Amino acid sequence: MQIPHEVTANPETGLYNAKVGIWLFLASEVMLFGGLFSSYVFLRLGADFPWPFHELKVLPGFINTMVLIASSVSVVTAWAALKARRYGWYQVNMVFTLLCAVAFMGIKTYEYYHKFVHYTVHFTDHSVISGHPVHESAEHHGDRIAFAAEAITLDLEKSNLEFLAGRRENKGGKEPYADPGDSPLKVTLPDTINAETKAVTPGETIDLTESWFKQKHRAFMDAKTELRKTVTDLELQKPRITPHDDAAAKAEKEEKIAAINDSIKAANDAFDAKGKEHNLTPTLKLTLAKGGDGKVIPVPFLAKERSVIKYGAAELNYRENTLLSGKLITDAIQFNVDIVDLRSTRDPEKSLVWKHLGSELKTRFLKYRDDKIAEFHEHRPKVANPEQDEDCRREAFRVEFADNDGKFMSEEEAHKFLHEPEHTISIPRSEKLFYSNFSPSLSPYYAIYFLMTGLHGLHVVGGAIVLAWFLFTGRKMYLRNPEHLANRVEVGGLFWHFVDLVWIFLFPLYYLM
Amino acid sequence: MDSAHDHSHSSHDDHDHPIDLAKSIRTYLKVGITLIAFTFITVFVAYKVDLGDKHLNIALGLIIAAFKVSLVGLIFMHLKHERGLIYKTLLFAFIFFAGMMFLFCLAYMDPIANSFLKP
Repeated sequence: MQIPHEVTANPETGLYNAKVGIWLFLASEVMLFGGLFSSYVFLRLGADFPWPFHELKVLPGFINTMVLIASSVSVVTAWAALKARRYGWYQVNMVFTLLCAVAFMGIKTYEYYHKFVHYTVHFTDHSVISGHPVHESAEHHGDRIAFAAEAITLDLEKSNLEFLAGRRENKGGKEPYADPGDSPLKVTLPDTINAETKAVTPGETIDLTESWFKQKHRAFMDAKTELRKTVTDLELQKPRITPHDDAAAKAEKEEKIAAINDSIKAANDAFDAKGKEHNLTPTLKLTLAKGGDGKVIPVPFLAKERSVIKYGAAELNYRENTLLSGKLITDAIQFNVDIVDLRSTRDPEKSLVWKHLGSELKTRFLKYRDDKIAEFHEHRPKVANPEQDEDCRREAFRVEFADNDGKFMSEEEAHKFLHEPEHTISIPRSEKLFYSNFSPSLSPYYAIYFLMTGLHGLHVVGGAIVLAWFLFTGRKMYLRNPEHLANRVEVGGLFWHFVDLVWIFLFPLYYLM
Repeated sequence: MDSAHDHSHSSHDDHDHPIDLAKSIRTYLKVGITLIAFTFITVFVAYKVDLGDKHLNIALGLIIAAFKVSLVGLIFMHLKHERGLIYKTLLFAFIFFAGMMFLFCLAYMDPIANSFLKP
């Protein structure tokens, strides 16, 4: 079916139909992004925390602005080239536009990646540091909870052995958390008790593998299902005592109920006995291999905090219901500091962050702060107490060691310096209020940043796909009716300009203000 | 700028009418360079100009952004010479946006909510 008014104007609107369609769509887009921009303003003005200001690196955003402006010029030139019947020029400009789209998304990906690998720690006194957790390695536990396990209690119903991913091997010296490789974890099962003779057989030593656990889990679940079925059948056989029953009938029913209850208890006892005989109890306590002195050799585990429900000096309980017994090695977070933010603390030198910083970083912080306060005082002499001024605090009490216009040292030197082992700090988890990478979960600022820039990025990808379609399949249409292709490119171009237009607001709002 | 005027008319008045490509490219390049220049100015204002209050810097940054957006809309999107139907369509979208901001203002100025939020 031929779509009417694809090339010529519709007499009712004076425009070809696709143009009316794209403008209706763009109007809906204005409402979508308008809603998000108003949400941004709402979040910013209502924020109960210092709203990030000049925290995003400007250069990537600036380059992306240039890239989008260049692509806007090229896409409108591509359309003009079609109107002038210059197909070669059209192709050149469209290819350039698509390269700009690829460059934009590449830079965006680079920015996102860096946000996900950088972390921030908010201390309980609201002092803040940002940087990198030390990479977990043979030498370091990184940001994991380190625990020396002597016994493992598995929940045969709920455990899934995911905790084994955090298992390490203590090779002594500088390698307390070495990768155990493919060597399976040897564990000793609990002693079994024969159901009839009550004879105790010492538990065998096995390799704790997924296949072993799956088999055990299935056997336990089968036995439990069988028990439930038996108990349900018995429960259904229980007679109902009604108010109409006479004394004899009631006594008879009660006798039957008591007999059934005995049968249920017997079924449960049989289940327990079978469990003890075949190691199919709901929880299974496994002991780890012993050394020559008869003592258990502890196995180190590094647990992600979010995979743990609770832990203490002697126990660590995973969400999957596996329990490690032994000794907590450390729950401190090993961290390399890039940024210190002491805006929200009364006295920086009494903050929790301060006691962890090395003397060199402290000296640099104080020098930077004093320089900035003096600079602020010079620019705004009317402000009586610069240290209490919000703008001054933002500039002077948040120090980015690796990026201060080369004030301390070059960015490269600073990173090398900050990542030296002696500048690694150890943060006890008890001092931590919040720990996160720069992802949407960090603050409403990053939530709306990722929402808006992510949605904008999707628009870039969508627009690029449409323009690429016109580029690679447009020749036939051009030869048949060049004006038809010109109209299509105009419509695609309008969308592309809208994408540019949104970015023109996003760039200053997020990178500059 | 005139060439853009010509193009937009050609897009809905006379579709087979060819345009002067060189003139169009010159116009678009001029607009592109203006946009880039104002991007530099925005960054400069944000980092190097202290207007005494950061809110003034924010306001200036937004005014520059609005100017850049109007250039894109008027020249690249041909809104300068578009049909009334499109203006009406956009008007409804902007009324919606203004409504959103108005709702936000109501919430922000709500004395009852503020009594909880701000001690």
